Amino acid sequence: MKRFTCLQALAQVAGDALVVSSAGAMTLEWNSLRPSDGNFRVRTLGLCSSIALGMALGLPRRKVIALDGDGSLLMNLCSLPTIARMSPDNLLHIVFDNEVYEASGSKKTATGAGTDLVGIARAAGVNNARWANSPEEFANAIRVALSGNKLCFIGVKVSTERAEVPPYPMDEVENKYRFIRHVERMEKIAILKGNLPASYS
Amino acid sequence: MNASEAAQTIFRGLKGAGISLVATLPDVNLSDLLAEVESDAEVTHVPLCREEEGIGICAGAYLVGKKCATIMQNGGFFNSCNGIVSTLLQYQIPVLLLIYYAGDIGDRTFSTSGAMTEPVLQALGIRYYILRDPVDSAELIKRAQILAEDSKRPVAMLLTKEALGRRSVVSSL
Repeated sequence: MKRFTCLQALAQVAGDALVVSSAGAMTLEWNSLRPSDGNFRVRTLGLCSSIALGMALGLPRRKVIALDGDGSLLMNLCSLPTIARMSPDNLLHIVFDNEVYEASGSKKTATGAGTDLVGIARAAGVNNARWANSPEEFANAIRVALSGNKLCFIGVKVSTERAEVPPYPMDEVENKYRFIRHVERMEKIAILKGNLPASYS
Repeated sequence: MNASEAAQTIFRGLKGAGISLVATLPDVNLSDLLAEVESDAEVTHVPLCREEEGIGICAGAYLVGKKCATIMQNGGFFNSCNGIVSTLLQYQIPVLLLIYYAGDIGDRTFSTSGAMTEPVLQALGIRYYILRDPVDSAELIKRAQILAEDSKRPVAMLLTKEALGRRSVVSSL
């Protein structure tokens, strides 16, 4: 299965969900399919699932989707018991498992040697965890996950193929500000405030 | 001030600073403080398995409008360094880091961790304050949050045994 095909299916149903994506080409592919200030690119390998959990806990009525990779999740496996413990209804955690550290020279990860990330998620207490074994299963799984109100984990085995897409159009700080302003507009809340001049403090 | 009162004072500072999400990993010296966090219905408490995930959780919650703090031992701060550098500092995200100062002067545990704590904070360019007198905790934590928000960076408060009400305050420290 191609990751890009899965992301195309996700772009059809993601709506205005906030999307956090792990370091690597997946982020560029997703941003080309759903360009939005509601996309947040993660640069710390591993923290995708944790950043998504923080967003889901902070905005419990808004869908949050984590686009994780096998190398990233393997580095932060302990996020799974924490996600299970907090169990936010609005979080969909998707792992694209291509069995390599794609952004780091395509060396093999442990999943190619038999480590089962869905099995780990279930054992950590994420009950609603499953593999999607075909594009149809994936499309169906994300539709069910996004229309329901329950923590979901979907694993999908994908090839190492990359789509030809443009580079990410902004740096980290611009990504942060755009994302926060997007949340402010969507939720009609004020998050960032200018510093008060000394005469007011 | 006993340990329970000292913990209440620190927690009052967090509430006064507007903190509404706290990610924690236990240390025995932090027990009373964690009990305060657990018992407050307005604060989202996230018990962690490893401290660096707390950096990610706080960053995510900040991006959707929450003010966040972590409570951990200095060993956990060392565990968190990559997340602090490549998420908090790289994206300019303020988070309060409440760090138990194991290996502080007179402390029988982890003297090596104690020796490395301030140099690592300095190397990361993180401004930090050592809390000693528990009477000061609430006010200094509120000020630290103002600094974090204005500088868009993490700010660390080192919690000594004195600040946690577990050892008497020495005026010359």
